[in-house]
Amino acid sequence: MASVLVVTEVNNGAIRESSLELVSFARKVAESSGREVKSLVIGSGVDGIAGEFAGKGGGETLVVDSADAANYNVDVYKKAILAGVEAAGADLVLISNTPQGWDVAPRIAAALDCAFVSDCTNVEASGSSTTFTRRVFNGKLDAQLSVEGTAVASVQPGATEPFAGSADGSTTALDADVSGARAKFVEIKQSESTGIDLTKADVVVSGGRGVGDPDKFAEVIQPLADALGGAMGASRPVVDAGWLPHAHQVGSSGQVVTPKLYVAAGISGAIQHLVGMKGSNFIVAINKDADAPIFEIADVGVVADLFEIVPALTEAANAAKG
Amino acid sequence: MKVMVCLKQVPHQDARLDVNADGTWIQDGNIKFEINSYDTYALEEALKIKDAGEADVVVVSIGPDRVTQALRTALGMGADRAIHVKDDDADLSDTLGCAKILAAIAKEENPDIVFTGFMSDDGNFSAVAPMLAELLDLPSATGVLSVEVGDSLKCERELEGGALEVVELPKPCLAAIQTGANQVRYASLKGIMQAKKKPVDVKTMADLGVSDAGAGAVKAKIEKVYVPPKGDSAEILSGSTDEIVGQLVTKIKELGVL
Ligand SMILES: Cc1cc2nc3c(=O)[nH]c(=O)nc-3n(C[C@H](O)[C@H](O)[C@H](O)COP(=O)(O)OP(=O)(O)OC[C@H]3O[C@@H](n4cnc5c(N)ncnc54)[C@H](O)[C@@H]3O)c2cc1C
Ligand SMILES: Nc1ncnc2c1ncn2[C@@H]1O[C@H](COP(=O)(O)O)[C@@H](O)[C@H]1O
Repeated sequence: MASVLVVTEVNNGAIRESSLELVSFARKVAESSGREVKSLVIGSGVDGIAGEFAGKGGGETLVVDSADAANYNVDVYKKAILAGVEAAGADLVLISNTPQGWDVAPRIAAALDCAFVSDCTNVEASGSSTTFTRRVFNGKLDAQLSVEGTAVASVQPGATEPFAGSADGSTTALDADVSGARAKFVEIKQSESTGIDLTKADVVVSGGRGVGDPDKFAEVIQPLADALGGAMGASRPVVDAGWLPHAHQVGSSGQVVTPKLYVAAGISGAIQHLVGMKGSNFIVAINKDADAPIFEIADVGVVADLFEIVPALTEAANAAKG
Repeated sequence: MKVMVCLKQVPHQDARLDVNADGTWIQDGNIKFEINSYDTYALEEALKIKDAGEADVVVVSIGPDRVTQALRTALGMGADRAIHVKDDDADLSDTLGCAKILAAIAKEENPDIVFTGFMSDDGNFSAVAPMLAELLDLPSATGVLSVEVGDSLKCERELEGGALEVVELPKPCLAAIQTGANQVRYASLKGIMQAKKKPVDVKTMADLGVSDAGAGAVKAKIEKVYVPPKGDSAEILSGSTDEIVGQLVTKIKELGVL
């Protein structure tokens, strides 16, 4: 029987929750396409966590346990995954779209000369055909893709619930040759604290690329943050362009905030921004594009020019304080 | 030293996106295009190496006629040469097909370093770079925010929550550059004038000896693209600016932050 292989991710001695999300998708497609669910755990000293994962729905769990795999290394992981695919007889491979996943997954598809679909939010399968859903144009459109035959897919973390059941599983040591890595891991540098802690603010008012000009942050966005007693945030392009320091960035590669009120002005709502603010209690989005994806998660939306709404709101907020 | 930079031309970030007649991509007839944002940072990394010493920077793009503009801009910024894969069928390739075409070029060019962008702003695939590295059997790193060139290439990869992974790649190697890695320069007037004299080689898949790319080799087929369903989306406020602001103030007061 063909199998769907879940490539798990080990971080700080534990398997990431996103790997259990892969199990949810794997079990669904296994059922609809007559495949078996198998998993792969790569790391050093990972026998114990692999055993646990096998019992949480991972099924037959292959383990590549090697000192070479103590830290993520693209060359080591590629060899381990290719060995896992072969041992599992897998024709569908699921990997989380994380910094490890996006570094190695496309290589697996190239090595197997098979289809690759990245950052999927859904996977459906029937027989040998598999259908994937994913975002394109930074969230402005959705796309549906189909594959006949072997596919490697990376899956967006949070796209589905982690599998919460239990099931029988077992572990099998896989004796893969992962030596000969050329990339050399040096170190992980943790982020330095930068002074501005957006996570403690009750109100965050963020501006995006739609603000259009560095001066406008001081003239338009900061005054609203001040009027509401909050802090000023930003999307990544604002920081990349040097309009504001990185400490203001909200999102997957910035800060994750959960204020009582989040105001997004001139921000389209790409997934990497959304993961940084979707936990906010109340979200107001101001964007001149009615189809902007930010409106999908906002509580209240205003389809208008931010330069009309934000200054007027600042004035009204100041007046309301008396 | 030779540095190859892969550039994709994509719809301008502010272009209006309308789904095309057969519902499989966008209408691209009447919109503006620009160099993929990630690729501008990749090109800047290459030009920084050139500024610091000696490097021959060759930019490569697969795409229709309009791509000439992107290549001219790159030459104006300081790249030395351009290769344009102009081939209607090549344009229909999926990511693996693109990687195969770029690999054929890299085999002819033998660069010490290949830079790509981390992701294309249109398809958001993040696929071509690791595929290209695999096809060329090169070590690689993705999501790269800084590189230090010596005997090897020391890369800082962006992880989540502000952490960075430092990884060293022996040359030849490939790095996929993340936005924000540097301050991208503009093409100067002088640069644009000089660019007119710089060579642009035009090639087809047949010239490169690539047959397993293009429409016939697509493995992941886009069936349809569509505006995402709205779901339980926001309550959209309407009225004059004053009325909208009045409603917002009422809601903000209910939250207890005013
Ligand atoms: C690995 C990775 C990590 C990332 N991390 C982050 C992150 O941490 N944070 C982050 O934000 N992004 C991150 N990104 C980038 C993300 O994919 C998007 O590119 C980015 O969020 C887009 O920012 P934006 O919404 O400001 O710009 P755009 O998408 O360009 O949107 C601008 C918006 O402004 C609107 N607009 C323009 N003018 C006006 C006006 N006058 N009035 C009202 N509206 C107007 C437009 O309609 C548009 O919707 C990451 C990407 C990757 C690949
Ligand atoms: N048609 C193309 N021509 C040249 N380079 C490309 C092309 N498509 C993708 N690339 C390169 O691959 C990177 C990643 O693109 P993608 O995998 O499509 O998200 C881009 O940033 C470019 O550097």
